[in-house]
Amino acid sequence: MSTVPTTQGKKKINWAPYLLILPSLVYLAVFFAWPMVRGLTLAVWDDEARLSLQVEATAESDTAGTLPQGTTVDILDQQGNKVPLEDIEEGNLLTEIWYQVRAESVEGEEVTGWVPESRIRVREEADDGTPLGGTVRSKLGENVDPLTSLFTEENEDSEVIGQLESRVQVSIEGVSILEVWYLISGAEEEGGEAVEGWAPSRYIQVFEDEIQGRIDRGNTGAFTTTYLEKMVNDRFFWPAVRSTLLLMVIIIPIQFILAIIMALVIQANLRGTGFFLYVFAIPLAASDLAVGIVWFSIFTTNGYLNTILMGLGIIDSPVTYLSAETRYWIIIAIVLAEVWRATSIVMVIVVSGLQAISNEVLEAAELFGAGLWQRLRHVILPLLRPSLQVALILRTILALQVFAVVVALSGGDIVTVLARETYRQYYDFRNLNVAAAYAGLILLISMVSAVFYLRTIRTQEEAAA
Amino acid sequence: MTTIADHQVTKVEASEEVKAIHRKMLRRQKISKGFGYLVAIIILLWILVPIWFIGSMALTTQENVRAFPKGVLPFIEFSLETMQFFLSSEGIIPGIINSVTVAVITLVLSTLIAAPAGYAISRYIFRGRDTYRLSVLMVRAFPIVVLAIPLVVVFINFGIFDSIYSLALMHTALTLPTTILIIGSVFASVPYELEEAAKVFGCTPFQAFRQVVLPLVLPGIAAAAIFTFVMSWNEVFAASVLTIQNRTLPAQVFNTLSQSSQAYQFAGAFFMLIPSMIFIFIIRRYLFNMWGQVTK
Repeated sequence: MSTVPTTQGKKKINWAPYLLILPSLVYLAVFFAWPMVRGLTLAVWDDEARLSLQVEATAESDTAGTLPQGTTVDILDQQGNKVPLEDIEEGNLLTEIWYQVRAESVEGEEVTGWVPESRIRVREEADDGTPLGGTVRSKLGENVDPLTSLFTEENEDSEVIGQLESRVQVSIEGVSILEVWYLISGAEEEGGEAVEGWAPSRYIQVFEDEIQGRIDRGNTGAFTTTYLEKMVNDRFFWPAVRSTLLLMVIIIPIQFILAIIMALVIQANLRGTGFFLYVFAIPLAASDLAVGIVWFSIFTTNGYLNTILMGLGIIDSPVTYLSAETRYWIIIAIVLAEVWRATSIVMVIVVSGLQAISNEVLEAAELFGAGLWQRLRHVILPLLRPSLQVALILRTILALQVFAVVVALSGGDIVTVLARETYRQYYDFRNLNVAAAYAGLILLISMVSAVFYLRTIRTQEEAAA
Repeated sequence: MTTIADHQVTKVEASEEVKAIHRKMLRRQKISKGFGYLVAIIILLWILVPIWFIGSMALTTQENVRAFPKGVLPFIEFSLETMQFFLSSEGIIPGIINSVTVAVITLVLSTLIAAPAGYAISRYIFRGRDTYRLSVLMVRAFPIVVLAIPLVVVFINFGIFDSIYSLALMHTALTLPTTILIIGSVFASVPYELEEAAKVFGCTPFQAFRQVVLPLVLPGIAAAAIFTFVMSWNEVFAASVLTIQNRTLPAQVFNTLSQSSQAYQFAGAFFMLIPSMIFIFIIRRYLFNMWGQVTK
């Protein structure tokens, strides 16, 4: 790091660096930290876990209590309640329609008031289907009040303005669509204390007898382990964990050995080092999907590997490598593809680490007759440890994300990895919560391994000191 | 490492014993040089042969792609048929346009936001600088998968789902940490003394930056920008999760992988590899500048 101005004086805070980093901080807060926190809560938070019951049949009233989703409840009463138009589009919602009508009452006065849709036969409609006029339906049966009541509001509990006789002409002046609210009563668990309150019909599934129902979904969130359980019980979960860890354990050591060899070649001052470096670095920018397909072209049944082996006379007919019966070949292909693709980054880190080691140290070792292996073992590797540490953390975290390569080589079912399962849950099953649970698991493994590596190096340093 | 030339310059008479050691060392060096070339060529083949294979498949006739045993260029017919077939497949040209658009937006946003931050961490010591560097490094190491799912939720809530602009916002979040650290190291490679000297000779701080620092760091920043472009161009997970209609090229190829012919896949893979080969060639001088410093 170059020299840095320090003459600013201690009393005055220099705000310039803070202003310079501000945009990046804001951006990372908005597009990184915030969504991360929000998203990961999806894994353990059920938005529809509980239904809150209101004291009165309006959303604004106080909450009487909450009941978990799936509770069986008694239905005590029902009532219509105004509902925003966009909510009606939502499914599972029971509606009631009320008409505001003007007509001559039994007393002979002209009255305006609300009647339920069921009491009016619409006989006149505007072009767009809006009802304009009709007649009052007659009530059938004995012992029934033949008159139809007009209410001040769209509610049978409101005041009655007047009574209409059957078959009276009415003009319809307004239409109101109401959502049915139920007064329900249920208990958290069998025999527990009952909670009673109002809830909109969209959350409740009413049984045929109409005196009992079940809470279909809630409107209040709660902590849940459902999604984590779903993830662990998924049939792809353990295979994914196993192959992700297996791939990590195989790939990372091979990569480090190869990267150190590549770095030593670059450092050996050979003629054409610039060209070697360029070629060694090509995979650094290669798309993982493309690399997956490249290795597919080698391992597929009519691919290059079979061509070469048959050309050499080792096999007589093409061998199928990428099938469910030959999982180990798929693993080998993934390992080769990943080693091909992701060794460059380790090499670049190792080379910059090597460049930081002074030539005198290496020359001294050589002068004292240390061979390549001895120099590597006792001089180069110990001095490279910080670089290797960084590379190790980076590679482990990236290894957990292997995704496109696996899908390209195995279709993503025969051999599956955690990132692939995250994608499957999100894309194929549309299960955002379980996908978030997988993402959280990947994050957890990344963090644990990073902390593990950091701890390991620290204890070594302390031991050295 | 000492070279042969160095040894020949020293014309001091040495004892037989020392000369013997000297000869032994020279021989050893020659052997290790030869061994070095051998290893270098093996690794060279390891990297280049798969590219040669896929290039052969992408630049030949579809008949040759289906054929077994497979041939390689120049022993099979060179033809643009496979490539044409790939490029004329549904969704490929729009995918390329989307990919380039997303990558360019990402490059511009990322560089604009990262450049001042990179300057700050390389030129100032301020309270919280180490914390800032460390948190940027942590963000850099975060799994893309972990970020993609939460961001999808946020974008759905805001109604900007399935848009290449939201994808560009996301790619910027993914590339920003790397870009900040790389640009920081680029600025750090320009000694502060130069800037100070310019100020001594009467430049204002802005002039000093504009006239002295900027010309020196511009190539490095361009290299960082190119790398940002490549990261966005290659990214497949977030792109497939976040877009349905407006797919980028990798997302389009990825999502049609199981239904597509080998000719399509091979041509697609080669097409996606081309930019990486070109870009690494352009920025090869800056590779260590970029990654070497990131690790410190």
